[in-house]
Amino acid sequence: MTATAERQMELTLPMVPDIEIAAARAAGNLARELGMRSESIDEMAHAMIEACINAREHSGSNDRRIYVRITGTSLGEGNSRIDIWITDHGKGFDVTEARSRRQKLGAVHKRGWGLQIIEAHMDEVSITTSADGTTIHMVKYGKNDD
Amino acid sequence: MTEELKVAVDRRGTSGAILYTKGYINNVGGEEIASRAYELMEGDVRSLLLNLRETKIVNSIGISILIEIIEKMIDKGGRIGFCCLTPVIHKTFQIMGLANYASIFTDEDQAVKEMGLAS
Repeated sequence: MTATAERQMELTLPMVPDIEIAAARAAGNLARELGMRSESIDEMAHAMIEACINAREHSGSNDRRIYVRITGTSLGEGNSRIDIWITDHGKGFDVTEARSRRQKLGAVHKRGWGLQIIEAHMDEVSITTSADGTTIHMVKYGKNDD
Repeated sequence: MTEELKVAVDRRGTSGAILYTKGYINNVGGEEIASRAYELMEGDVRSLLLNLRETKIVNSIGISILIEIIEKMIDKGGRIGFCCLTPVIHKTFQIMGLANYASIFTDEDQAVKEMGLAS
């Protein structure tokens, strides 16, 4: 397959309640332009929402901004790919510890499910994190609507 | 920017009710649902169905509040069900284990029948 027609969008969002919806809508619009199926778009939107919430709730960033970059690529033959980078300038986190969280009814940890949800809804996820901030790179492949 | 959740209540008999949600189930939306659910539980409702037909987006904080509602209902010997979930919300419920402790129904008719909520 040959990758063509890349589209790109960059957003700088304030860490305010429900801003994750704006990010998800932007990615959804770009994916719709590529013809991606609605269920794939919904999965991507839910992953993006969790990534933005993690940045807002847990990053501890001083600038209180979320930096979002989205690219959309048509792969030909009715296939497309969306890449999303969510970056904060916070204090970073322990990825291994975050991945190990599991919730049970009655357990102390009812929260902390964001990463599991992101990894379940996206096709590829990679995280770069340090004391200077975190970037989560997520990829969604999609078949186009017929 | 806010995404307000609306909740409507339909009482079914003395011990049943259906909650209809419309909008984003985040922390605020989850608390709104919890408030309505706890009022109903105080009023002896023990069979509660949440119809999410008009909810297309949830987040993990909102779902964690739904889990708290389920826990309280189980403590009272009752039952909670969900119906009309989008495929992605259904998948998210399964990821977080909610589907293990509440009943998930495809549509309201099936839920009403299974949960004994006929009006």
